[in-house]
Amino acid sequence: MYEPDPAAQFIHQVSAGYSLPQTLPEYTFDETPLRLTDRRGRGGGYGGLGGPGAGGAAGRAAAGSLLYSPIFSTPASANNAAVGPASSAAGHFNFHTTSATTASALTSSVPATTHHRSSPPHFAIGKMEPTPEDLVAQEAAAREYQPQLEGPFVGEKTPSTAIANEYAKADPIYIQKTAVLPQTYSHYRPIQGDGNCGWRAIAFGYFETLVNGGNKDQIVAERLRLEGLNSYIETQGGHSSYVYTDFVEETLFLLDRVAALIGNHEQAMAEVYSSFNDPEIANAIMYHFRLLASSYLKGNQGSYAAFVTHEGGVDGYCSSTLERHHVEIDQIGLLLLVNVLLKPVGFVLQVAYLDRSPGSEVNSYRFPEEARNQHPSTLGPMIHLLYRPDHYDLLYPAEPEPIPEPVTVQVHRVSFSPSYDIASAPVPMHSYGINIGALAMLPGFGAPPPGLAPTLLDTSPSPLSAYSPSPTSTWMTSPFAEPPQQASPVSVPPVPVPMSMPIHTAPAVAPAPPLQTHPLRFSEYCQLPEYVENDTWREPSFQTSTFRNSHFNVAHYNNPNFQPEEYRPETEDYDAPQRGSGKKRASV
Amino acid sequence: MSSMDDTQNSAPGSIPASKTAATSKMGNENATKRLQHELMQLMTSPAPGVSAFPSADGNLLLWHATIEGPEDTPYAGLNLKLSFEFPANYPYKPPTVLFTTPIYHPNVDFAGRICLDILKDKWTPAYAIQTVLLSLQSLLGEPNNASPLNGEAAELWDKDPALFKTKVMDRHKDIEED
Repeated sequence: MYEPDPAAQFIHQVSAGYSLPQTLPEYTFDETPLRLTDRRGRGGGYGGLGGPGAGGAAGRAAAGSLLYSPIFSTPASANNAAVGPASSAAGHFNFHTTSATTASALTSSVPATTHHRSSPPHFAIGKMEPTPEDLVAQEAAAREYQPQLEGPFVGEKTPSTAIANEYAKADPIYIQKTAVLPQTYSHYRPIQGDGNCGWRAIAFGYFETLVNGGNKDQIVAERLRLEGLNSYIETQGGHSSYVYTDFVEETLFLLDRVAALIGNHEQAMAEVYSSFNDPEIANAIMYHFRLLASSYLKGNQGSYAAFVTHEGGVDGYCSSTLERHHVEIDQIGLLLLVNVLLKPVGFVLQVAYLDRSPGSEVNSYRFPEEARNQHPSTLGPMIHLLYRPDHYDLLYPAEPEPIPEPVTVQVHRVSFSPSYDIASAPVPMHSYGINIGALAMLPGFGAPPPGLAPTLLDTSPSPLSAYSPSPTSTWMTSPFAEPPQQASPVSVPPVPVPMSMPIHTAPAVAPAPPLQTHPLRFSEYCQLPEYVENDTWREPSFQTSTFRNSHFNVAHYNNPNFQPEEYRPETEDYDAPQRGSGKKRASV
Repeated sequence: MSSMDDTQNSAPGSIPASKTAATSKMGNENATKRLQHELMQLMTSPAPGVSAFPSADGNLLLWHATIEGPEDTPYAGLNLKLSFEFPANYPYKPPTVLFTTPIYHPNVDFAGRICLDILKDKWTPAYAIQTVLLSLQSLLGEPNNASPLNGEAAELWDKDPALFKTKVMDRHKDIEED
C-alpha cells in the first residue's frame, strides 16, 4: 500500500533500480503544486526538500511501471476485478492494487492522488478486450455481485478518530478533513453499507433522539402521529393496508417498547440498538419510512415533482428508487424524509459531507432549510450524519456542542488558515514603490493604465483573466489580484515571518473575499525550513534604479521569494506558448 | 438472455450466505405474516381474472395461482396456472414465479420462466401477489418483444398473429393442480 512517508518512498524507489536524477526540487514544479500544497496543509509534515519531490516522482515512476507490470497481460479476471464495485468507503482507488496483485511493490505504492495519472492504462485495457462474450460475462458478474458486508447493521458508538485513521493513506483532502473531524464530532456510529444506510441512519437517529429526549409523552405522541399517517400512505401513496401494515407495526412496536423503557436510558437505547440489528425489525421500519417519504412526495407533487428527473415521473421514481429495498437514499429522499418524519417532531438533520471538494473541513448542511441560518441553541435536537460518497454514518458532536457554521458554503479559501490578506482597500499602491510612469518605457507597456483602481478590482474568477491580452491586466493581477479559485490550492501555512507590507492575519475561516481583498501568495520556497529558520525570508528590496520593482527586473531572481510565474492548475504546461502574452513575458 | 432467466430462477439462492443465515430464523415468520395478510386481502377483495392460494400442504411459502387469459388476446378463454415460491425474506425479495401451464409467449420460455422486470431488479416490497398477477395478465396482451425469451414467438406476434394463435393453442395443455 501507499507509504505516507515520502522519504521512505524515495528510498524504495531507488532500491528498485530507478536511477532518478537528484534534482528533485526542480522536479516538483513539474508536479502538481496542488498536491504539494495540500500535503503541506495536512499539518506541516513536509519533510524538507526531498519530500514533495519524492512523492511526485514516485507517483510518476509508479505510473510508468504500470506499463511493464503484469496488469497489462492479465486477462479478463483482472478486468473484472477492476470493474467490480470498488466503492467500499475506505478503499479509495486501491483497485489498482487489487486488480494487479502480481504487480510490483512499486505499483502498489501509487498514492491515491495519482489515480488520474494511472487510469488511462485501465481504459486501454478495456479497449483491448472488447469481445462480446467478455462483456456479457462481465455484466453478469456485475449483476450477480454481492458485496461482502461485514459488521452489524448499526455499529457501536466509536471515536471518530477511527475515521481519520481509515483515511490516513488516502487523498490529502480526505486526510485534512478527517483529521479535523474529531474536533467537531467526537464519535460516530458505523452503519452497514447495504444500500439502505441513509434510511437506516436517519431511522436510528430518530429513535435515538427520542430516547435521548427522555420524554414519554413525546414518544406516545409520535406513535399516534405515525399511526395517523397510515391513511396518508393509503390515500396519497396508493398502497393497500395489507402492504404497509406489517412495516408500520414494527415502528409502532418499537416506539411502544421505547416508551415503556424511557425511565432507563441505557435499556431503552439497548432496545433500539438490538432492534436495528434485527434485520426483520429494521427492514420493516426502514420500509415504513420509505413509504412515508414516497407518499409524501406523491402528496406534495407541486413542491417536489420538479426535482424528480426520473423518466417514469414521480411514480416511476417512487417505485424505482424510494420504494426499493437496498436502493440508497438520494437528496430528494432525504428532503422528503426530513419533512415527513423529522420536521413535525422538531428534529433537525445535519449532514457533513466528506468528499474531495477543496477545503480543510467537511461541509455541513442542515435540513430542513429553515434551520440553516439559525444558531443550534435555537433548534431542536439534531441528528448528525456523515456522508461519504454513497454512504452515510451517524455522527455525534463533541461536547459541548460546538457552533458549526451551518452553511459553510464551500469556502474556497478555507485552506488559508491563516492567510495573509491585504486588508486595506484600496491597496495603498505607493507602499510598493511602483513608478507607473516608468512602465511606459517598457516594451509592451505602451499604454499604461490611467489609474490602477480598475485593474485592482479585476478579480474576475476566470483563470484566464490574469492572462488577458491586456498587458496592464497581466502586470497587475498577476501578483496580487488572485481570483479565489486560483488561490485555493496554494494554502499558506502559518509561518510567522516579519512583513514589511500592510497585511494582517485573517481569521481561520476567512469570509469569501471581497473584491478589494488581494490574497498574497508566497513562493513554495518561503516555506522551506532553511528560509524560515534562518529568517532570510524578508521582504527585501531587490530593485534597481532602472527597473525598480517591475517584475522584468532580473534582480528579483535573488529574492528567495521569487516566483517566476503563477501556477495555473488548468494549464500545467508552463511552456505552452499559446498564452497571448507569452512573448511579452519572455523574462520568465 | 440466458443469464437473465437464471437470475429469476436462482433469486433466492443468490442472497448472500450471511443474510440467509440471519433471516432464516425470523424471516420466515415475517414473510408468513405478510402472506397471511395477502391471502386475506385476495379473498375479501379478489381482482377479476386472477386468483391465488397457498399450496395444499399448508406451506405458506408456496402458492398456486391462476390467470384467466384476457379477452382480445390469443390467450382468451385459457386458464393459465402458475407457481409462486417465496423467499424467507419476502417481501424484501421477489417470489420466484413460473408458469406451470405450458404457454407460448414471447416473454416466457419453455420451462415456464418469466421475463418480467418487477420479478427481478424492479421488485419493491410494496408489490404483492396480486400486483404480480395483474402485471402478468397485462403481459399476456402486451408482450415485451424487445427482450424475448422465446424469439420465435416475439417475431410471430407482429408478423403472423394467426400462426401465433395456432402455436398458443398447440402448446396449451390444461394441467391438473397437485
